[in-house]
Amino acid sequence: MLSIENLHVSVEDTEIIKGLSLKINLGEVHAIMGRNGSGKSTLASVVMGHPDYEVTSGTIMFKGQPLEELEVYERARAGMFLSFQYPSSIPGVQVGTFLRKSVAAVRGEDAPSAREFRKELKAHMEALEMDKSFLSRYVNDGFSGGEKKRLEILQMLLLNPTLALLDETDSGLDIDALRVVSDGINSITPTAGCLLITHYQRLLDHVKPDFVHVMIDGKIVKTGGPELAAELESKGYDWLEE
Amino acid sequence: MMQYPQITIPPRSEHLWRYTPWKRVHPTKVEEMPKADPIKFSHGEESEMHDSEEIARAFIHSVSPICRKITLSDETVEVDLRCSGHICAGEMSIESKGHSNLVIRISGDAGWAGLRVTGSVSGTLSIAYINDLASDAHFLKCEDWEILRDSTLEFATLSAGGFLNKSDIRFDLIEKGSEIRTGIASNGYGSRHDDHHLEIKHSVGHTDSSLVMHATCNDSSHSVGTGLLTITEGADGSDAGQVFRNLLLSEKSRAEAIPELEVLADDVKAAHGAASAPIDVNQIHYLASRGLSNEEASALIVEGFLMDAFREIKSETVVSALRTRLLVHLECLMNG
Repeated sequence: MLSIENLHVSVEDTEIIKGLSLKINLGEVHAIMGRNGSGKSTLASVVMGHPDYEVTSGTIMFKGQPLEELEVYERARAGMFLSFQYPSSIPGVQVGTFLRKSVAAVRGEDAPSAREFRKELKAHMEALEMDKSFLSRYVNDGFSGGEKKRLEILQMLLLNPTLALLDETDSGLDIDALRVVSDGINSITPTAGCLLITHYQRLLDHVKPDFVHVMIDGKIVKTGGPELAAELESKGYDWLEE
Repeated sequence: MMQYPQITIPPRSEHLWRYTPWKRVHPTKVEEMPKADPIKFSHGEESEMHDSEEIARAFIHSVSPICRKITLSDETVEVDLRCSGHICAGEMSIESKGHSNLVIRISGDAGWAGLRVTGSVSGTLSIAYINDLASDAHFLKCEDWEILRDSTLEFATLSAGGFLNKSDIRFDLIEKGSEIRTGIASNGYGSRHDDHHLEIKHSVGHTDSSLVMHATCNDSSHSVGTGLLTITEGADGSDAGQVFRNLLLSEKSRAEAIPELEVLADDVKAAHGAASAPIDVNQIHYLASRGLSNEEASALIVEGFLMDAFREIKSETVVSALRTRLLVHLECLMNG
């Protein structure tokens, strides 16, 4: 579904990703781990099409189509979702309005009726233990770190993507919130591919990855199963740099 | 008292007239007092208003054929002000007790409209002004408000109509415990010129004020926001803040945001700020990643930016009226 071949990415003439290849199929959960500055978030941003990042060489294919041909909103409508590490706030725009517009845009003709939408929204908000007062607040405006992450996962559940990129979704979450958010992620993985970007083993205790990749200096240097995450937790990254 | 013809034309060096001089505001030639048709008020009793030595107020008073008084007491009232004819004018006095909401919609196809308002608040009054005049109208509005002891005025304006607008609004916190919360949202498009001058005076201590003005500037529009915050000598314990923000949507649009402070008391909190910037690319990217095209994302950000001017307004009635009208206005603009 997602196929990245020998990707090179720069920001303002500084190369961040230096020859990365990765394949994610439907139903697979991949985790990428690595130190700060290794290029993990850049990878998520460039796949979603952030304008600050320039693909200098290599290819990214999504569902058999070159991603460079798709605008950001077209990627979302094609089934791609990014849970942002630092989601933007949109002052003055109520969460309820935003979610309704977003669902209508992404799901198009399959978008639920107003009544069905409310029902779906209520069910997902209950599962994520979110109060309905959330809906009248402005998008991410004055939200705590945990509230922002719950809103990201709520959007993911409503948009029902085929590829979910989750950039440090576990940061800022306490233990209870981590469990709730993980349940949300697990509910989509049977029918979607998933790329988890994380620093810590703790998210992977709740969401079992099929593959764990280690990223150092813009490249994937090692790939393994869930046991690799545990090994990194105990040994750190130094042994992979030698 | 001097009447309009005796009043000296103010120079452009005056803060109030810097960006929209009186010559440009006057409907004909500055020395003239043209005949005006009355604004049609949907509510109010016949009344009279005192004259003024301030030029714009004196002019409206001189030409206005109508004055209405609206008295509110624990109620929600919607008032339509219909402006038609070549030149039309009116005066309105508002007195409020208890907890009231007032939604005032100004509409019509007048070439020039002048409105003078005086108001007194005891209790809590929340006002929504909706300027929905025809897109070629010139509009002058002058207001003077007094807020009494332990009373609150919430004052929200959606400025979306008219070609050239000049408003001069003055609030006086005259007794302890009084508070004013002001939100102004101005949507600039075409060659629209929208000038808001707001003066807030803390005449006594232990009074609070906040002023937020948000202007979106598209095409070759020009937005002006000038504020004068005065905390008089001895008005200790006052808390005041003013912020002007402009969202620049085109290269040809212009925005001026000039807050001024005059603080003569020692123990006060007074803050002011002004900022002009284009739409944040990260906001666009975030919304695009949720399936909205660039055009849809920009429209939603503009809508939010304008609504955010009313974040200090607690009255749901007022905020809901403003939101409803803003959505209709933006949809009309998008559909040409």
